[in-house]
Amino acid sequence: MAEDRPSGHESAAWARLPSLARAGPKVWALIGGIVLVALVLMTAGSAVSNLLFHRPYVADYDLVKHGVAIAIFTFLPYCEITHGNVTVDIFTERMGDRAKALMALLSSLVAAGLAVLLFRQMWLGMLDYMEYREVMISIPIPLWTAFPPALVSLALLFVAALVTGADAIGGLRAEAPGLRPTLG
Amino acid sequence: MLSNIAIGTAGLAAMLALIVVRVPIAYAMILVGAAGISLIDGPRIVMSQLKNLPYSTFSNYDLSVLPMFVLMGALASRSGLSRDLFRAGNAWLGRLRGGLAMATVVACGGFGAVCGSSLATASTMGQVALPELRRLNYAPSLATGTLAAGGTLGILVPPSVVLIVYAIIIETNIVTLFAAALLPGLLAVLFFIVTIAIYVRLRPGSGPRGEAVSPHELRAATIGVLPVFLIFGIVIGGIYGGLYNPTPAAAIGVFLVALHGFGLRRLVLRDVVDSLLETARTAGFIYLILLGAALLSIFMSRAGVPQAVAEFLHGSGLSPLMILVLIIAIYLVLGCLMDSLSMIILATPFFWPVIAGLDYGLSVDDLKLWYGIITLVVVELGLITPPVGLNVFIINSLARDVPMRETFKGVMPFFASEIVRVTLLVAFPAIPLALPHWLS
Repeated sequence: MAEDRPSGHESAAWARLPSLARAGPKVWALIGGIVLVALVLMTAGSAVSNLLFHRPYVADYDLVKHGVAIAIFTFLPYCEITHGNVTVDIFTERMGDRAKALMALLSSLVAAGLAVLLFRQMWLGMLDYMEYREVMISIPIPLWTAFPPALVSLALLFVAALVTGADAIGGLRAEAPGLRPTLG
Repeated sequence: MLSNIAIGTAGLAAMLALIVVRVPIAYAMILVGAAGISLIDGPRIVMSQLKNLPYSTFSNYDLSVLPMFVLMGALASRSGLSRDLFRAGNAWLGRLRGGLAMATVVACGGFGAVCGSSLATASTMGQVALPELRRLNYAPSLATGTLAAGGTLGILVPPSVVLIVYAIIIETNIVTLFAAALLPGLLAVLFFIVTIAIYVRLRPGSGPRGEAVSPHELRAATIGVLPVFLIFGIVIGGIYGGLYNPTPAAAIGVFLVALHGFGLRRLVLRDVVDSLLETARTAGFIYLILLGAALLSIFMSRAGVPQAVAEFLHGSGLSPLMILVLIIAIYLVLGCLMDSLSMIILATPFFWPVIAGLDYGLSVDDLKLWYGIITLVVVELGLITPPVGLNVFIINSLARDVPMRETFKGVMPFFASEIVRVTLLVAFPAIPLALPHWLS
């Protein structure tokens, strides 16, 4: 594929795209990690304040629920791109590289499909939440605010699945020239 | 038209087929769960469930304790607590025959008290203890076997990621579950030490004595381990004492571990970034499996599969004890194929209704605790049994010169001691139940 791309400026930008697609999920997960750290500090502070002065931060329960959900969404693309989702490899360990690459491709397709499906449904879900405005009990933050970051996460999950899928295709191609007789 | 139960069975078969061809367990569960619900109830229902189910699953407050404990364990692995624990264990037990292996077990148990994951415990302690065990000429199989088995203490001693997930699935209180896990966890430490004592007696030379330490070193090493006890006391003690809920407790734990690490200049910003990424990977995959489990359990209960399993086993004429033994055996087999979390999440919705419908002479709440602790122990055995045994893989990646077979051989005595412990737990429900009863 690389050889029929136009040379020059355009191709340099094009060539950077895969590394951007790889870095995106990591950066996004770290942003979620920072959200998690903020929640840690808030809920620890609230508990200590409750213990010492009987004065907890009233919104900590709602914010933890909401914030952890957002953080978890941001983690999903990183899980996909680092193959963090657990698989059962024991039955297929003795198969050839080509078969393994095919299975990896199948997993990426499933991940991409689920990302699209969940994106569409959660988009509709967000519209529902915006229409029938639901807010937290303790603090007037609307619940739909979790959905935009979740949608970005699902879009990135799709990108991550494309990257792992491209890696799998790369594995197939690497094998192709030296087709072993057993495969023919 | 297919009957619902046929659709359910076909769905399970399809899911297993996907898992066999390496589709991640979480994706397989989501896919089959969604497809199954739409086959039984029509696609409309599942489409509308998907609008909100991911958010509502991820925003479960009780579950929020999980990423925080994972983060706490990740930071603890990088802040040298394992070194302190091993040093203290060595000062206390090192002069005994097999003492360094016993010290390893004690240190693993101590590390398990601030970390909720077996794999993290095995790899962290392995890095510290393996070189020392090898230096003292321990038999390679004893060294690696001790570490692989000791790693399971990460999960057996609270906090425990597996127990949090179990509590969510079965809708029981995490606090009482953590209380129920403490005595059995300490029992595991004790049994492992006894196992080592017997091992070095039967195989002289496999675990030579270490040099005795000076009183000064003994005191220094003991003081060095105080922060671990303090953190455990504040976090888990605070939970037991009802000072705060598990989530704030875990948050306080994260804060304390970070404070200790930064205070002693053992942690740098890079460690925090790595810990956050590790947390992202671990928490992300667990939550995704739980989303799959939510969909799959809707599908399965609409199809009537768990009910059918329960009816079948209840009508089989087996005694309640036999059924429990059968379930334990199934878990042991499953443990050879998949990791402990996936196993608990997949199997509990099928087995719990079976157990709940039988008479073990316990109240439902006690039954949940007792069955939970037994499940915890048997799924952890999967981490040290061939062919998958993840802990064994981890330790072997640290000790490349020891063949995998040696490690599995070294783990066998510990496996035997765990079987004895499970038998005790089955025979005496009072062991896990004593502390929760006393606390309430």
